[in-house]
Amino acid sequence: MRLEGKTAIVTGGSRGIGRACVKSLAAEGAKVALVYHRSQEAAEALVTELQQAGREVRAIQADVRDVRRADEIVEQLATDWGRIDILVNSAGVIQDGLFGTMGPEAWSVVIDTNLTGTYNYCHAATKPMLSQRQGSIVNISSVSSEFGARGQVNYAASKGGINGLTRCLAKELAARKIRVNAVAPGMIETEMSEAVRNLIGDRIKQVIPLRRVGQPEEIASVVVFLASDEASYLTGQVLFVDGGMSLGAY
Amino acid sequence: MHTKDEIFEKVQTALVDALGVDEDEVTPDSTLTGDLGAESIDFLDIVFRLEKAFDIKIPRGELFPESILTDAQYVKDGKFTEAGLSELRQRMPFANLDEFAKNPVAQEFGNLFTVDMICNYIGQKVAVA
Repeated sequence: MRLEGKTAIVTGGSRGIGRACVKSLAAEGAKVALVYHRSQEAAEALVTELQQAGREVRAIQADVRDVRRADEIVEQLATDWGRIDILVNSAGVIQDGLFGTMGPEAWSVVIDTNLTGTYNYCHAATKPMLSQRQGSIVNISSVSSEFGARGQVNYAASKGGINGLTRCLAKELAARKIRVNAVAPGMIETEMSEAVRNLIGDRIKQVIPLRRVGQPEEIASVVVFLASDEASYLTGQVLFVDGGMSLGAY
Repeated sequence: MHTKDEIFEKVQTALVDALGVDEDEVTPDSTLTGDLGAESIDFLDIVFRLEKAFDIKIPRGELFPESILTDAQYVKDGKFTEAGLSELRQRMPFANLDEFAKNPVAQEFGNLFTVDMICNYIGQKVAVA
């Protein structure tokens, strides 16, 4: 197991890509704390499932926009575990709509959850990781971060911000052997993308060279790689895991 | 309640752990950047370790007010202005700025941070026996 003895925090860990990350990190031997906002039932079911499989997992309720809760949670986990090795920022929301009708609320909730939430947990985790002189942060970005899509100004801005945060933070923390990377998923079969996938239908496959949408586990496997010592020379990178979608139409 | 010796020992331990230096390198007059090789990222770790060692909160910029360096009204042409020196005195009452004030070159700002200065700062934050 590649992560035996390691500790990991996954925000947005009750559903979708975050959930897959929790399962994959735990399967590799890590102790995992998943942070969820509203999906208590899903979070608790996941914890039960993994504990029955002999994994050490716990669920913590928090809104990632709450910076004080982020500090509290990370500090408590660092005390309980003695260290924080891995942070995966997967909590994210989407509120698509044409820009002209995108009100301040739709803008703020997406920026605050996706980007500021990532800042909150990166900031909190930096403290124990600096003292450890070791750590790995993986931020979940999106193919939308680099390629324009109608109706996603807020989402793309938040994920583009995550890319910039990732690169700058990687440079700042490298001297302390803390690696910071991002994974930019393409179209993945999750609850969050269901509405978009239903809207576009099979046409989406025409812009994906691999001719299918991805599965959360396919993102989680890259996250686990980045979190592990197998990626020991990899930092400041945004890896597009999108079936080739970002290669363009031709 | 801490004695001055206890404060020094805890500060010394924090610096040894944060900077990976030997105990005998950490003397009251040692400068963090010059003698002990601290970089900006190390200052963060030092703050965190001091907070833990003394069970105190050190607000951002209170011990190491680096933001002064990028303020155009405080630093001009590589030197602290009168306003900058005044601001330093206000924000760093635990530091002896007299020598620095004679030739306040911004690049030398880092040398203000000595082990003794940190001990003075801590002494102002905790009860001293």
